[in-house]
Amino acid sequence: MNDMRPVTPNVRVSIQNLSFYYGRFQALKDISLPLYDRKVTAFIGPSGCGKSTLLRVLNRIYELYPNQYARGKVLLDGENILDSGQDVNLLRARVGMVFQKPTPFPMTIYDNIAYGIKLYERLPRSVLNDRVEHALKRAALWNEVKDKLHDSGLSLSGGQQQRLCIARSVATRPEVILLDEPCSALDPISTAKIEELIDELSNEYTIVIVTHNMQQASRASDYTAFMFLGELVEFGLTEQVFTAPKNQRTEEYITGRFG
Amino acid sequence: MADIAVTDTSLARTRITSLRRFGRSDARFRALTFLAALLVVAIFIGIMVALLRGAWPALSAFGWGFLTSTTWNPVTEKFGALPAIYGTLITSALAMIVAVPVGIGIAIFLTELCPRPLKRPIGIAIELLAGIPSIIYGIWGLFIFAPWFQQNLQPWLIDRLAGVPVLQDLFAGPPYGIGIFTAALILSIMVLPFITAVTRDVFETVPSALKESAYSLGCTKWEVLWHVILPFARTGIVGGAMLALGRALGETMAVTFVIGNATRIDSSLFAPGTTISAAIANEFTEAVGPLYTSSLIALGLILFVITFIVLAAAQLQLYILERRAGGRA
Repeated sequence: MNDMRPVTPNVRVSIQNLSFYYGRFQALKDISLPLYDRKVTAFIGPSGCGKSTLLRVLNRIYELYPNQYARGKVLLDGENILDSGQDVNLLRARVGMVFQKPTPFPMTIYDNIAYGIKLYERLPRSVLNDRVEHALKRAALWNEVKDKLHDSGLSLSGGQQQRLCIARSVATRPEVILLDEPCSALDPISTAKIEELIDELSNEYTIVIVTHNMQQASRASDYTAFMFLGELVEFGLTEQVFTAPKNQRTEEYITGRFG
Repeated sequence: MADIAVTDTSLARTRITSLRRFGRSDARFRALTFLAALLVVAIFIGIMVALLRGAWPALSAFGWGFLTSTTWNPVTEKFGALPAIYGTLITSALAMIVAVPVGIGIAIFLTELCPRPLKRPIGIAIELLAGIPSIIYGIWGLFIFAPWFQQNLQPWLIDRLAGVPVLQDLFAGPPYGIGIFTAALILSIMVLPFITAVTRDVFETVPSALKESAYSLGCTKWEVLWHVILPFARTGIVGGAMLALGRALGETMAVTFVIGNATRIDSSLFAPGTTISAAIANEFTEAVGPLYTSSLIALGLILFVITFIVLAAAQLQLYILERRAGGRA
């Protein structure tokens, strides 16, 4: 995270003039923002500012619900994912998501991981086993579960379940991982583990994290976007946003004067 | 200072009297609810005793043979329960085979696939279906469904399946219209709304974040349904199906109308048969002689035991499923 590369990183996802509507209510107003390759970008802002909405556009999960639609462009590797021709299942395999509350599937720990892999790949058993092991190691969970892979995923603790969900996301080899307040239901120790994990994963993946926790944003991200009432107020290197914010509202929010 | 002390003691006194009052009303309330709970147990024991006493003459006269004999002859006063037991089990089993998949299908459609404007009308229609009295199903079954079944579906099935091993015996002629199969179909329609309603309610308890997680992996609708929603809901579905089975086993009126009321066991599902409740309803008024009456009460006892076993099996099944699912409290 701290290895300041001399060159600006590549743009992996380019959000261009994005607006989003819940029925008639406009939740996002003309957002333009780059997400850099293999960097962690944090979306911060008070409740209802649209940061989770923005996240939910990036894998088009909002489409499960009626009366929600997006205008504008979101380019992933130069390709507009909001195009009607885009295959959403494929998109979601490329853009993984982890939710606020852990959501292990009602199956064994092993199957929780293997399930996503098997959706898109036919692998021999031994390769599949390796992939599961690798994913669990990536999510720093392997040592805790290696002896009980065939127990139910629901038998794990909250923090372990969340790492299982991250492992599940990683296992399908996505390009981008979206984290929607992944630590808000967890205790400080589990939170620390997950932040460590995010740092680790950013070597390989483009990561977006929505968080309410200012310390978390400053600790775990490379770039920060501050949003307010559906608008993008400020975007920049996390260090710059937190130490020398350009906008007064950003400063007020991060210093705790409102929000 | 003195004033405060006085108010303090009087406050303490009123508090103590209030507490005593609360204590008395609490005790009264506890006694009342305990009595209500006791009443259920008392009724249960009362019914068991009445059934056992009523059934005793028949059970002592025929012994275990009552369960295995296929004779049901009021003239010679020889009674056996097997045809009625067979009819009860086979109609209910067939009804479940038809109703469970269809009911789950409807519930899936309603919760996951149905366009919003259709959701309420279909939901209400299902609930209305559950409210139709069983006698209406009986009349409809006898006058509308059975003749249609007899003229169209039965001959067709008998023709088509002739020559197919096993199936040709199960679906063998003549097409009576009424019979075991017809009763099972009517039963399946009757328990369908029940299964649908329970399954739908269970599906709606699946957290949306869980579904979204599955979609976020790139799952299709089918994959989410099959691998996430159904496993999550399976305990509830089993519970609902078992309750429906309990209802199907005891259903009397509609079955009596369409089953044909023949106390025999035929290899063909199209043949007339009987069930325990249909036999009791049909014959109780004309049962002369203590042994005849007692045999009918013994049938009732058997039905009671069957239903009890089904419910116990359901509980066991739920317990096993929950254990397998692990830490879900």
